[in-house]
Amino acid sequence: MYFRTQGPLRWLIAAAVFPLLIGCRSDDAHEEPPKSFEGFSAPAHFPAPVYGFENNPVTEAGFELGKKLFYDKRLSADGTVSCGTCHAQVHGFADHNIPLSFGIEERRGMRNTPGLANLAWTPAFMWDGGINHIEVIPIAPLTDSTEMGHDLAALISFLQTQTEYPKDFETAFGSSEIDTRNLLLALTQFQSCLISAGSKYDQWLTGRTNLTPAENEGREIFESKCASCHSGVLLTDFSYRNNGLDSIFTDEGRMRITLNPEDAGTFRVPSLRNVALTSPYMHDGRFRNLMQVLDHYDSGVKQSATLDPSLSGGIPLEDHEKERLIDFLRTLSDYDFISNHRFSEP
Amino acid sequence: MKFSKIALSGLLIIAAITFQNCSSDDDNNNNNTPSPAMKGDMEIKFDHRWGPSQAPFALDNTHTHPATGEEITFTTLRYYISNVRLHKSDGSTHAEEESYHIVDASATFPKVHVKDIPAGDYTGVSFLIGVDSLRNVSGAQTGALDPAENMFWSWSTGYIFIKAEGSSPAAMNETFTYHLGGFSGENSALREVYSSFGDADMRIAPDALPSAHFMVNAARFWHGGISLGEMSMVHMPGANASLLATNFSGGFILDHIHN
Repeated sequence: MYFRTQGPLRWLIAAAVFPLLIGCRSDDAHEEPPKSFEGFSAPAHFPAPVYGFENNPVTEAGFELGKKLFYDKRLSADGTVSCGTCHAQVHGFADHNIPLSFGIEERRGMRNTPGLANLAWTPAFMWDGGINHIEVIPIAPLTDSTEMGHDLAALISFLQTQTEYPKDFETAFGSSEIDTRNLLLALTQFQSCLISAGSKYDQWLTGRTNLTPAENEGREIFESKCASCHSGVLLTDFSYRNNGLDSIFTDEGRMRITLNPEDAGTFRVPSLRNVALTSPYMHDGRFRNLMQVLDHYDSGVKQSATLDPSLSGGIPLEDHEKERLIDFLRTLSDYDFISNHRFSEP
Repeated sequence: MKFSKIALSGLLIIAAITFQNCSSDDDNNNNNTPSPAMKGDMEIKFDHRWGPSQAPFALDNTHTHPATGEEITFTTLRYYISNVRLHKSDGSTHAEEESYHIVDASATFPKVHVKDIPAGDYTGVSFLIGVDSLRNVSGAQTGALDPAENMFWSWSTGYIFIKAEGSSPAAMNETFTYHLGGFSGENSALREVYSSFGDADMRIAPDALPSAHFMVNAARFWHGGISLGEMSMVHMPGANASLLATNFSGGFILDHIHN
């Protein structure tokens, strides 16, 4: 079991209450009684997750190991970049307001770092949907030469030689023999628990609060003009669409995966959860703020063969409608999620 | 109408499976046939060769392609062999459990070891070159399917079924890279090889280790008029990967078996 407590007193307390701690976690922030481990629990107003957990039930040890790995810079080839470097909790696990992220040796990535939330409900990952399963997501950033640039076999050997990790894997998976699968399962346990369902919008959805008149006006505009793609409680229909950013594509988007010319310039419709916290926007981070995004839909949509039919005339918006939409989009920020100690760097 | 057809074919499949299960239990004991309750192992050996004359092949050696005349030096030749099945004369089969193997031409004797086969006489063997679609969509895998084997595409999930790399003066930049895969749709690169053992059955029994010896023609990638000059870089699923996989799978010829 992995404790984040510090100092001998904490260890004494931990030892004294050890039998109680099975299935619980210690909390280092305050002198509170230990809370029971939350595990994965789907919010009542969410649909059933697509990830089944049958082969990877979330345990405290697995979750804590996943978190430790997520924040460990030594998982990158030169020890400079962790997952959390570019997936910052304060920004809804997107990067710190930069269009393209920097990996090892300040190499620049290809596309804007997406926020991480509600991955257990997401059927395919990355802007082009190229990754088909939550468990195999980390292989891409771990090995990409512009991200963490590591070799999986070398990484596994490195982890095996550390004093703590073999014990952590033993506690989590019953074997101190580390392999890629258990590495991925631990990261999945942590990442699947990154659930954002506590925004003001969620509270409104579940009847626990009211939106202001301005937010409510924005919601009505949103529902009539945006929600056909940014649909449902997850605020995306997970489709791939060309939203008219370019006429000539420097990034072919989903076509990179499917090789189908009909997918040229299409990208996954992103969830809008925490959207006000995750600027800049679009696959290349070209828009600095939400107003620029709305201006694009209003008057900047460019024609091309694969432009989404629903955007052929753009989405005409009056200036005051844009203001109200932004009021609404801010209700999607989940401050519990970005401040929840459970997800923070140890 | 459509539904009933589907239902009917479903029933037929179920019936077929039931029959197979029944017939596989049916063992007409003569004294020589080992009881299927006993288990044995077998091996499939892969002897990499060059061209239809089955000339010797080795990594890091320069070979001249018999059809195109191009000089070709392999540095890597690795591929997945999966879903190994042994077939009996009554049509029943034994499928190896967790049947995923990597064959690497750099090994001294490249082979696949198949364990725990019910003892008995078998008439043929089949396997896939590649990894079945299910394991391409089921998340983190281990063993031969561990992504640390570097036979996996991180950015477009799926296994690299066949990896062939090397150099040739004929190739663009004088190197060639074939990373062949694709588990679904028209560009699937999954290929099945089935070979009958011919007149002699393979006898699986405890304390025996029979083997099936395949010749694998590494020159087959460039079968049917494809040259390295025009195809030197294939690194994702698509029509070219599918074509090269078809070519390569055509180079698997069962030479003989050892009992």
